[in-house]
Amino acid sequence: MDAYDTDSEARRGADEPRAPEPPAAPAPPLPPHLRTGVAALSLPYQIGAALALAIVAVTVCVHLGMTFLHVAPANAVTKQHGRAIEDWVYPEFEQNWKLFAPNPLQQNIAVQVRAQVLAADGTVRTSGWYDLSAEDGRVIDGNLLPSHTQQNELRRAWDFFTATHGTDNRPVGLRGALSETYLRRIVVMRLDRDDAAGPDGSVERVQVRSVSTNVRPPGWSQEQVSDKPAYRELPWWAVTPADRVGGAR
Amino acid sequence: MNRFSLAVSQAIARITESALGPYQAAVVRIGFSATWLLFLLRELPHRNELYGPDGPWSWDLAEQLIAGNGAFTALMWSDGRFWFELVYGLAVLSSALLLLGWRTRTMSVLFMVGVLSLQNRSIFMGDGGDNVLHLMCIYLVFTRCGQVWSLDARRARARGEQVPDRVGPVLWIVLGLVLIAVTGAGRLLEGDPFVPALLWAVWLALGVRWAVDRLARTDQPRIFLDVVTNIVHNGALLVIMAEACLIYATAGWYKIQGSRWQDGTAVYYPLHLDYFSPWPGLADALTSSATMVLLITYGTVAVQVAFPFTLFNRRVKNVLLAAMMTEHAVIAVVLGLPFFSLAMIAADAVFLPTPFLRRLGGWAARARGRLTAGRGRTTLPQPRAPESAEETHVGFTA
Repeated sequence: MDAYDTDSEARRGADEPRAPEPPAAPAPPLPPHLRTGVAALSLPYQIGAALALAIVAVTVCVHLGMTFLHVAPANAVTKQHGRAIEDWVYPEFEQNWKLFAPNPLQQNIAVQVRAQVLAADGTVRTSGWYDLSAEDGRVIDGNLLPSHTQQNELRRAWDFFTATHGTDNRPVGLRGALSETYLRRIVVMRLDRDDAAGPDGSVERVQVRSVSTNVRPPGWSQEQVSDKPAYRELPWWAVTPADRVGGAR
Repeated sequence: MNRFSLAVSQAIARITESALGPYQAAVVRIGFSATWLLFLLRELPHRNELYGPDGPWSWDLAEQLIAGNGAFTALMWSDGRFWFELVYGLAVLSSALLLLGWRTRTMSVLFMVGVLSLQNRSIFMGDGGDNVLHLMCIYLVFTRCGQVWSLDARRARARGEQVPDRVGPVLWIVLGLVLIAVTGAGRLLEGDPFVPALLWAVWLALGVRWAVDRLARTDQPRIFLDVVTNIVHNGALLVIMAEACLIYATAGWYKIQGSRWQDGTAVYYPLHLDYFSPWPGLADALTSSATMVLLITYGTVAVQVAFPFTLFNRRVKNVLLAAMMTEHAVIAVVLGLPFFSLAMIAADAVFLPTPFLRRLGGWAARARGRLTAGRGRTTLPQPRAPESAEETHVGFTA
């Protein structure tokens, strides 16, 4: 690419005093095995090299074309050849660069959970709401190196859940079912860490909800947004042994 | 017409006779291996929760998802705790060795296996930084990223071709046995064939390379392999650069369509999300002025959209590069995304100019020299090692 051409030109240029001059005379004369490039090859090998060049050139072009179509908005070509593009890109070249685009998220979405706890004496009580996102937020505060477990785990599990569930909270397809188990395992693990069950109780059922609050517009803006949180409450889920850490298999 | 064919033949000569951008390839190698190494070390206490068989994204859940998408991960070969710890350990080790450039090609393959194994095991743990790393670890396998700033380059300089290499063949045989065992057990061929095919291809190529270096009677096969390796390297480096451009172009062009990026307030919002505001005071200070927020918002979009086009002008490219690296360094702290930022800076680094990289190498070598001298060591093989590496362009094995 052009950036390189000019760079390597500059390396040899006179405006580069710090670059060491190539040694005036490399002590031993060039042995024959230092000759390189296609020019040093006999015809059959040259044909082989040309073939290699053609294959690499085509692969690079196809790969870049496919990747471009994969990240481009839906268009005439992707509608016609969507299948071929997917086959090329998935699973290892999947990518998404809509970083804070087209619009950044403007809501704080907190995932909260409460539990029905069965105590040793057989009584059942319902806990208060645990704000798991707020717990994440507290460990992220003042943290130079937030962990993926704090910054991504719950946040992306909730995204995964909402992306694979209808507004009626019913799962869509296999991924919907997976996301439900995943979310349940996360909240059960977190409740366990928060010792929600107490010394000899056990969490029997859990309920998850999300609380979305608009980010307050900047102080210098005239904009008005509602500061009322919006709730999305999921049904109570029974906790199975498979939902507890270590009981997965 | 004559001029055209001359230009074409010159271009072909260039891309076949050498692996271009040796410093850029090396800095990308160092950047990504360091990012992954630091990430793995930082997550050491959380490794089980992120990728372990008993984490919330359990082995069972992963198995169901991967049965559908066919992604490559060695972690699905066994649900044992020991296997997981082994893979994690090997991921740490291979990134450290790739960073140092020890058996660079082999380590780049193991590095890729480590990255893909962990990331594909728990795809919902990752973010944009993981995504960049995921792509680049595959592309790096195709490059000669150890030509400079590597133990390989130092070894090649130190002893030339005289002393027979024992470690290389042993490593090759061991990895070959592993590959055969895994393939024989049917594990390797369960999903998408791309990564398994790549593993076999690199292993065979390394074997052919070794055999040709030792056994060929003429120079021709060796030069031929060099030519093919150079072509593949140059193609991969082009892909790495194009990928970086694609990232910025996508990020920029999609932003232009957003109302918040248009009204100049976009930057305010991520800074006030609980998950991305480790320093609320700093975020408030940064966004206290409407003009400031507008400038950063518009500036971000302008730089991202413009970057790919500036590659045609060296000076403008360098200015934008500096701006983007600075912005990512700020994002690392202000949005609490250190590893994403490191990965992006590593990707940006492929566009750094060679003179700058050589100077950087010189400083690093001198700093190291001072460090080792300070410890009273007298063995200073070549204080200016990275710079002199370029003259010995050959002697590069794998």
